[in-house]
Formats: sequence, structure tokens, C-alpha cells
Amino acid sequence: MPRHASDLLHGTLDVLILKTLSWDAMHGYAIAEWIEKRAGGELVIVDAALYKALHRLEDGGSITSEWGLSDNNRRARYYSLTARGRAQLRAQAATWKRYALAVHRILETA
Amino acid sequence: MRIPVGVRRAFRLPSSRARLTRELDDEVRFHVEMRATALREQGYSEEQAYTEALRRFGDVDDLRNYCVSIEVAHMQRAHLREQMYSVVQDLRFALRQFRKSPGFAFVATLTLALGVGATTAIFSVVNGVVLRPLPFAHPEQIVQLWGLDSKGHQLAFADPTFDAVATGTGSFSALAEFGGYETSIVDDGEAVRVRAASVSKGFFDVLQVKPMLGRLFAPEEQQLGAPRAVVISHGLWVRRFGSSPSAIGATLTAGRTPMTVIGVLPDGREFPAGTDVWSARETFERNTSYTAHNWLVIGRAKNGVTIDRAHRDLSMALQRLHASLGDATWTFDGTVVGLREQIIGRIKPLLLLLLGASGVLLLIACANVANLLIARMAVRENEIAVRVAIGAGRARLAQQLLIEAALLSAVGCAGGVLLALAGMKVLLALQPALIPRVGELRIDSTVLAFAILVSASTAIVLGLVAAWRAGRGDLRAALAQSQRTQGGGGASYRIRGSLVVVQLAMTVVLLIGAGLLARSFVRLMTLDPGFRTHGVVVANLAFDAGSGAGKIARRTQYLDEIVERARAIPGVTAVGVSNAEPFSGGSSNGTFLVLPGTDVKVAPQDLEAMFRDKAHTGYATYRLASGDYFRALQIPLLSGRLFDDGDRAGAPEVAIINASLARKQWPGESPLGKVIEFGNIDGDLTPMSVVGVVGDTREEELAADPLPAIYVCDRQRPGNGPDINVIIATNGGAPVIGAARQAFRQVRTDVPMRFSTVEQIIARSVASQRFMLLLVGVFGGVALLLATLGVYSVISYLVAQRGREISIRVALGARARDIERLVIVQGVALALIGAALGGVAAFASTRVLGTLLYSVSATDPIAFAGVLAGLCAVALAASYLPARRAARLEPMDVLRGG
Repeated sequence: MPRHASDLLHGTLDVLILKTLSWDAMHGYAIAEWIEKRAGGELVIVDAALYKALHRLEDGGSITSEWGLSDNNRRARYYSLTARGRAQLRAQAATWKRYALAVHRILETA
Repeated sequence: MRIPVGVRRAFRLPSSRARLTRELDDEVRFHVEMRATALREQGYSEEQAYTEALRRFGDVDDLRNYCVSIEVAHMQRAHLREQMYSVVQDLRFALRQFRKSPGFAFVATLTLALGVGATTAIFSVVNGVVLRPLPFAHPEQIVQLWGLDSKGHQLAFADPTFDAVATGTGSFSALAEFGGYETSIVDDGEAVRVRAASVSKGFFDVLQVKPMLGRLFAPEEQQLGAPRAVVISHGLWVRRFGSSPSAIGATLTAGRTPMTVIGVLPDGREFPAGTDVWSARETFERNTSYTAHNWLVIGRAKNGVTIDRAHRDLSMALQRLHASLGDATWTFDGTVVGLREQIIGRIKPLLLLLLGASGVLLLIACANVANLLIARMAVRENEIAVRVAIGAGRARLAQQLLIEAALLSAVGCAGGVLLALAGMKVLLALQPALIPRVGELRIDSTVLAFAILVSASTAIVLGLVAAWRAGRGDLRAALAQSQRTQGGGGASYRIRGSLVVVQLAMTVVLLIGAGLLARSFVRLMTLDPGFRTHGVVVANLAFDAGSGAGKIARRTQYLDEIVERARAIPGVTAVGVSNAEPFSGGSSNGTFLVLPGTDVKVAPQDLEAMFRDKAHTGYATYRLASGDYFRALQIPLLSGRLFDDGDRAGAPEVAIINASLARKQWPGESPLGKVIEFGNIDGDLTPMSVVGVVGDTREEELAADPLPAIYVCDRQRPGNGPDINVIIATNGGAPVIGAARQAFRQVRTDVPMRFSTVEQIIARSVASQRFMLLLVGVFGGVALLLATLGVYSVISYLVAQRGREISIRVALGARARDIERLVIVQGVALALIGAALGGVAAFASTRVLGTLLYSVSATDPIAFAGVLAGLCAVALAASYLPARRAARLEPMDVLRGG
């Protein structure tokens, strides 16, 4: 059963968004789609939570946004990573990997 | 495109909630439509797809609120940053301003530093002495107990009276007798004088002091005849034992008595102040007389017992005692005084008075700086008008001026604290003995907080004054006129004038206070004390003659040698001996009996009855003197003779009285040949014949009228105390102290000596008057300086402001002298108003000086007239310079606007 991203540990969504934006500037819908596709349907993003995270990250200076035109020629808000966001992504990704590895080890030895 | 916050603010773009929610709604709509499109592709119908997309999106309202709250917080942070930035900007601007006019900045900060420094220095003393609690546990419970005589005067306690209080009261958890005395400890053959206290059981319970080393007295050490054990002070421990723990068990020799050190008290817990050695009172005999008032008593009130209740309790116990004993006790009643009140009682009003005076000085300093600031505002009117014109708001302007004032005050405060540190050193150097608890003084956090509080208040007041000045006035007019005049009109002059008037008035109050003190001091110093003060040295020797039969002989032998050696010093004209140093307060007084003849022996049981008979008793000060005492001090012999070689031990005993006693006791008849008995003081009941009458002296206190006195012959009644005072008169100028010290040391090395000239002794006795005079005088002087500056600057301002008017007058033919008069009249007018106000204020307030004044009324017309006239003269001088400048103005230059 797919997991709701709100069940994930606090901060997980943030690092996923940062990772997503590290490829390219995207609008919110594309971010949600990208994450769900990559997670192989294991994760369902609650859209409202995604936008909360986006605005929070923007306020914190990790990402920035501007209005542009989407593929189908509609006005959409595009988010992109700032230098600070890139640094944050590196740090958080490393932490996450260590954390996941630790949990994984424990579960395997049991 | 996203617009940076700063730019948006610069162009005042709306960054409102409406715009934010509109953009968010656009974003959400785009998302939902994208999702719906995707769902339709998966086979959902149009309507189902839209509903499902909305459901999957979640709570839009919640998202909206969340984003708004983020934005609001963001704006607040940005606003705060901007404000901080503006403060920094203003600070930089203020610094630039001060660099541009360093004179103003220097004078203003120095003035503030003087005010803050004086106030802080005095406050640090007030804080340390008056405000800070005593360094004992629950100090508010510790009280000193006093008996009261029939006239309500305080009396020390006699042993049985103390016992009656101890058993007859229930308000105290501990009570103790104590008495201070001086003794000498021999250290490496050299005697050192120390203060000692004999304390009864319970003394340390009252104070709740525990030794930092060793222990306090054990019960077996608190018994008659027990070997002497002593507790010593931290100071003595450091000086004598080098802080070594081996001090416990060591032996100190005081006089001839060896004493074992059993404990060391913690630093700063000495009571009575300055005591180095405490011994157990119980090792001495108790005196069964109810009238031997030898002991002071302290007590600790039980928890929950107020001072009032303790007072009533004591009062009732003593009244009961008096009711049962009748005239056998002179203690009619009793009172309790908080120990802190007891210690600081005398100095407290002086310190509060000084604090008030320094506060007035601070106000004067503030007025001066306010005056300077207003003058600068007038000069800067142009700059400020421009700033307002290009959009600086009132609040922004006020902030900038407040910051300028705060910067001034901060520097002034720092300077003030430095000045206070220096001032405190000076204060303490001036008269440490005058101020109790002086060892506890320091600039602590309370004092710093006080200085900062004072400076912050001045900053706010000054900033508000400046902002208020800047905020008024017609800006366009200022801009239009600023090319021609420098001033902001008559209103500004009126304000500055009133500030100067207030300054002058407060200066008058300080100066009149100083004037009164000065006149009183001069009166005191020109008093004839009745004896020679110049060229006389007093050597105070603490000779312990031990006890027992040989005591008198030992003392006489020692004294004879000392006197002989002193006489041999070149330049010495006479050498006398006495028991009490002048002004030391060390002489005793009491009731003597007048007997019908020398051969009358009074049985002890009849003595009581005779004492009650007023016809046969008199009251006098008791002094011990040798014949040369009067010659050395040049106290005139009025009739009869002085003591001579025939007045030896064993010869008929003789006494000399002073003129006051002769007048009071035997008016209209000769006192010569009268027989008196004064055993009440020294325990010697041998009758004495009066053989001479000498002039009155003021030996107790300069300001006190001479008291009736009886001098007994030093050879016949050597007294009980160890103190010997050798009065060495010289033919003037000869430095005998060094020679005398050397000569006396050849007699014995273990006798502590202290030499002072009589002039020094007199100076010590008027120390508090001199201290007050000096401080109030300095405050008054500084105030006068500031007020003079104030008058000068305000009159200069007036001249600058009225330059056009003056030039027109000159152009119309006014002479230089007329112009000068025109300006000076303004200055004198300010001075007159200030002097009048100040005179009234001083008239109302100088009575606080009350007891400090000697034979000068608190409204002494000479002091008032002198100060007022002096002030007007100073104001005249201060306005003369600007007046001259005005008279020399070149009218055409001014009128052209040059």
C-alpha cells in the first residue's frame, strides 16, 4: 500500500523536494509527479503539504520561485534551487543515507 | 519576476495578504487543473476528475493560512533588520556629527561625566554604608539595647542590669554584653596596638558568625579565672600569622597576659568594627553595682518578633527593675536600635545630604547639556529641515536625535564611572574613620546599575528635549530664513534662558550650603579651645602596668623616665601627663561628693544617702593631670596653685578644678580648700582638697561648651587605664616626634606609641565638618562653573540671534557702550531671577544642615548675601564677553548676511 508522505519523518519531504529541484526548475505539480514516479508508487504526496513545504523552503532561502509558462502554455510558478538549497541538500542527503543505513542494519540483524 | 524585498519597499509596492493569496490561488488552480487533466486521461469523467483532483490536493484554507503566516513572520523579520540597520546608520551619523564638532561633544560628555561621576561616587558610599545589609545572617533581627536615664539619655548596661534584662525579657533568642578596648600585642619585641573586645556568652549567637578556622569559646573558657583564650580577626590572622592554619593554638602576648588563639573569624565579620581580638568576658569579675555602666549589649530578636515588640519588652523589664530597686539604679527605661541604624545612624543623614547635593549637580549638568543640544539644534535647523523635506518622518528624526543623546550619555556614563572610581578613592582617603563599614565599599553591580540608570534617564530626557525642539517650528520658514539668521526665534531663547535660570537657582542652593558650612567651619577653627594648639605634640602610650601591689610604682617609675627623657629633647619647653587625649572622648564624667573636711571618713552605707543629697554632690568631668600638663598646654592658672613636687603618693591628696566648676559649684566663694571625694570614677575614696582653679578648655569637642572638670594629681591617683598621654610642648618648629619616639623606645620597646600634634588632633575632631564642607564646596564650585558656561552660551546665542537688530541699532548710531549694556542686562536679568529662586529654595532647604552648623544660623544672612552677590558678579562676567563681541559687530557684514 502506498504511503502518505505526511507519515514520513519530519523533514523527509523537504529533502525530496530539494533533490527533485536539483535536476531542473519545476512547478509544484511536476515536483509531485516526479517524486511519485521515482518512488514507484510507494509514496503519495499530499499536495497541500507539498506547497507548505515549498513556501517554507522559499522563506528559508533554500529555493526561489518565479512565474513562467508551462509546456501547455499556461502561467505556472517555477521553483528552482539556490546555492544555499544545494548545500542543504548535500548535508541532508548524507544524514538521510546514514540514518537509513543504520535502520536497515538493525532490521536485518533481527 | 520576483522583486527583491528592498526594491519593493523602496517603491512602496503592496506586499499585502491579498496579493499573496491571489498568487497562491493561481498556483493551486494550476496544480488542480493539471491533475484533473491527468486523471481524465486515466478515464475519469470531467466532473469526477476535478473532484478527485481537489480531494487529493487537501486543505486549501489551511495552506493559505500557513503561507500567510510565513509571509507575516518574514515581513516582521525584515522590518526588524531594517530598524537595526537604521540604528546603526544613526549611530554612524551621530559619530560623524561629533567628529565635526568635537568641542561640543567633549564639553557635553565631560559635563555629563562630572554629574554622573559625582552622583555615582556618593551613591556607591550610600549603597555600601546605608543600603547594603550587614554581613550577618538575618541582620534585621540584630539590635543594640540601651538603658535610658531619667532624662531619656542612652545609658550603657551594668552587669546586674544586663542579668535582669536577660531573665526578664522573652523577645530575644540571644543577648550578649560586650566592651571594646585597646590593647597591645607584642610581636618580635615590638608592640602593636590592636582593638580588642570582651564579649559574653551568646555574642557570636547574636551575630550568628562561625569561625572560618578553629572554634569559638568553650564553656570552660568562659569562667572566672580561666586561662585566656582569644578569637582573632581574619586581618590579624593574615598580618600576624601569614594566613597559616598553625595560628590555632599559638600564643599571643597582650601586655603581660599570654593568650591562646582558638579561632579565626571570616573576613568582614568584625564587630565592633576594627576589632582584632575577642576574649571571653566571663574571665573578668562581675561588677555588682547597678550604676557601673560599663557594657554595651546586643541581642537577636526571635523570629517574628518586631523591633517594636522587643522595645516594649525591654522597656517593661527595665521599668520593673527600677520600680523594685528605686534609686539604686539610674536606668529608668530602655530602648532598642537596629544594629545597622546604630552603626550608620550618625553618618546616614550626611550621606543622604551629599547624595542630594550630587543629584542637584547632576541636574545642573543635564540642564547644561540640554542647553548645548538646543543650541546645536538651532545651528542644525537647516540640516534638519532638509532631512524632513526629503521625507524623514518625525519618528525617524526623533530616533536619530535620541541616539545622539544616548551616545553622549553612554560616553558620559563610562567617564562618570571612571570618575566615580577615582572619586571614591578620594572620598575614602579623605576620612575613612568617619565612615563606618568603609571596608565593604566597592563599585558593584548595584552601583553600576545606578550609573547606567542615571545615564539612560539623562539620555532619554536630553533626546526628548532635542527631538521636541527639532519637531517644532516652521520648516519652510527655517529653510527660507536660514541663510540670514542662525537662530530659531525667541521661543528657543526663552527655553534656554529658563534652563539657565534653573541652573543658577540650583547652584545658589549648593553654594549657600557650602557657604554656611564654610562659615561654621571658620567659626570652629577660630574658637579658642582654652589651651595652646601650636607646637604641642601628644604621645599616646599604652603602658600595661599589670596588676597587684607594684602597679602604681611601676607606672610612676615608667612615667618619670619618659618625662625625663622628653624634657631632655632639644626644643622641648614643658612635658605634661594626662590620661585622655584631647577630643578623644576618653574622659569619664560622674558625680562627686562635697565633704565638710579632709578628716571625714564616710562609711560605705552612708555614701548612698549622701549621693542622693543634691546639696553635697556635683557633676564633673574627671581628668588626670600632672602639674606640667597645664604649663605644656598653657592653660592659665586663675587662682591657687598647680600640682607640684610635694603632691606625691602618700601626701594629702589635692585636686584642681576648672572655672566652670568653680562658678557652678561654689558661686561667689573661693573653691580653694574645699574637700571633694570622686571615688565614683576611679574607685579611690580618699578625699581631695581643691588647691587651684584653671581656665576652661574645650577638650571634649570643639563645638561643645566647656564642661565642669576636676583634675586629679597624676602622682597620687594613677588611674586604671593603660593609656598615658604625654604632652610635649616645644618652642615651636622643632620636629620632636622622631626624637621622642627614639628616646621613649630606649625606656621600653613593648609599649605601643602614637604621636600626633594637637593641630592634627583638632583636625581629626572636625573631620566630619571638613568632609562635608569639602564635598559640598566642590559640588558648588563645579555647579558654578557649569552655570557660568550656561550663562555664557545662552548670552552668546542671544547675540548671534539678535545680530541684525543690534546691527541696525549700531547703524542708527548706538554706541558700543549702549550695545554692551543691552546684552549685559539680559545676563544680569537671568542671574537675578536665578538668584531669587535659588535664595528662596535655599532658605527652605538649608535647615537640613542643622546639626552640622556651629553657631551659624541655617539662614545666615552673610552666607546668603555673599553667595547671591557672588553669583550675580559671575553672571555679569559671563555675559561681558558676548556683550563685547556684540558691540564690535560690523553692522554692514551682518546686514548683508555675511
